[in-house]
Amino acid sequence: MMVPEGILCSKSHEYLLEGSDSIYTIGLTDYAVEQLGDIVFVELPEVGSEFVKGEVFATVESVKAASEIYMPVGGKIVEVNEKIVESPEILNESPFAEGWLVKIENADAHAESGDLLEYNDYKEELE
Amino acid sequence: MGKKTTFYNKHLEIGAKIVEFGGWDMPVQYSGIIDEHRAVRSSVGLFDVSHMGQIFVKGDQALEFLQSVVPQDLSKLPLNKAIYCQLPKQDGCLIDDLIIYKLADVEYLVIANAANIEKDYDWLLTNKKDYRVDVINKSDKYAMLALQGPNAYKIVEKLGLLQDTQPEFFTIKTCSLDGVDVFISRTGYTGEDGFEIIVDNTDALKIWDKLFEIGKEYNLKPIGLGARDTLRLEAALMLYGNDLNETTTPVEAGLKWSIPKDKVEDYNGKRVILDQIANGISKKLIGFEMVDRAIPRHEYEIYFDGHKTGIVSSGGYSPTLDKNIGMGYVDTKDNIALDSTIQIMVRNKLYNAKVIKRPFVQKRYKIS
Repeated sequence: MMVPEGILCSKSHEYLLEGSDSIYTIGLTDYAVEQLGDIVFVELPEVGSEFVKGEVFATVESVKAASEIYMPVGGKIVEVNEKIVESPEILNESPFAEGWLVKIENADAHAESGDLLEYNDYKEELE
Repeated sequence: MGKKTTFYNKHLEIGAKIVEFGGWDMPVQYSGIIDEHRAVRSSVGLFDVSHMGQIFVKGDQALEFLQSVVPQDLSKLPLNKAIYCQLPKQDGCLIDDLIIYKLADVEYLVIANAANIEKDYDWLLTNKKDYRVDVINKSDKYAMLALQGPNAYKIVEKLGLLQDTQPEFFTIKTCSLDGVDVFISRTGYTGEDGFEIIVDNTDALKIWDKLFEIGKEYNLKPIGLGARDTLRLEAALMLYGNDLNETTTPVEAGLKWSIPKDKVEDYNGKRVILDQIANGISKKLIGFEMVDRAIPRHEYEIYFDGHKTGIVSSGGYSPTLDKNIGMGYVDTKDNIALDSTIQIMVRNKLYNAKVIKRPFVQKRYKIS
C-alpha cells in the first residue's frame, strides 16, 4: 500500500494530508479500515458545513458496527468523495488514494495539528 | 480474556480476528465477513461452534422431565430426530432457545447457546425435582463444528459417510469419521444444507485438519461469527440475546409454528403461551428491508405513523440481497402488516423501511 508522504494521523485513526492553498484531505488510515472490516455504508457531511477539531463529521459502517469519524483539525468542507458513498468498499481497497473522505479548508490547520503523529510514529504507537 | 475452544490456536494461525462472545474468545472473521458469507452460500464453510453447550438428559423419566420444561411435544419425536425448542419461565418468557435430539428412548441431547449454558443447566437442575433423570453438562468435553453450504455433503461423503448414509434433515447419528467417533447431525444456522459435528475435544483437531484437507477441492473456508450472524439474519433465524430474551415469549417472537396447542402435559409458561395463542399478543416480531439508505441495528427504535412502535432486535447488511434488512418488535395495536411503511431511527433521523416476509433469503435445506 502506498502511504502518501507527509500524512499526519490522529489517535482515532483519521489521517490529514496537506494540499495546496490551505486545502487538506481527510481519510481513514489503513489500520482503521483493516480493523473495521468490510465497509458497507458511508455518510458524509454537506459541502460548506463547518466542523471544529474533534467533532464528528461522518459515519462509516462495517458489516459489524457503525463508527463515528472525527475531525483531526477543524475546517470547512469543500469537497466530499461521492464515489465512496456509492461504493463503500473503495475505503477498504484504497484508504489513502481513492478512498479519501472529505477535503477541508483551514488556513490555521498547523496550529491544530500538534497532537497528530507522522505515519511511522503512528504505526509504532499501534504496536 | 474469555474461554478458548480447542481450535483457538488454529484460528490465530490462519489469521482470525478474535472477539469476546458469550464469555468466549471466538473468531469474528478470517478473510472478511462478506467473502465468508458468500463462500457458505455458494460452496461451503466451516464454523467453530464449540462455545455451544451440550447437556445430556438421561434416565427412565427423561421424556416426562423434558415435557415439563419445553412447550414442544417430545412424545412424538422419533429416535435420532431433532426438534427446535424453547425454555420458558412461568411467565412464558424465554431462558433460552434450544435444539433437542432424541438419542435413545431414555436419553436426549440438549444444545444450549454459549452465553446460557450455566443458566440452562441450573434451570434444568432446579426443574428436575423428583424426576428420575440425570442432567449432565458435558459442554467442556466436546468441541463442535458446523460445516455449511451446498457442497457440505460432498466433503462429508469424502470423509467416509456416503450420501445415503448421511443423516437426513434435522436428524443425528453417531458414527466414525476417519477413525474418530462423532455425533453428526443435518442441522445448522445459515439456511443452507449442512452438518454439525460434535466431537470429543481430544480428537477435534484431527477432524478440523481432515476437513480442510478434503475441503480444498471445494475451496472450504473458515467462517467467523460475523458471517454466522449475517447468514442467520438472512434466514431470519433467532439469535438469543437479540431477538429472544427473558422478556419475550415464543408467541411474540413468531415461533407459534413450533408450539402444539394440543400438548397434554403441563410445562413452564403453558398458561401464558396458550393464552397468547388464543387471545393475541401486545407486541410481535416483524421483518423489514430499508427503503432509504441506512443500516438498522439492534436496539434502534421503530416508528409508525409518527410515533414510536417498537425496537429493532437484529439488523444489518445482507450480502446476498445487497440490501439492509432487519427484524424487530412492534406494537400490535398499530396493525403493522406486510408492505406497511415503518421508520427506523438512525442517529436521530428517521429512515423509511418496508415490512416484508421472513426469511429474507430462501432456505435451501435438503429435505427428503
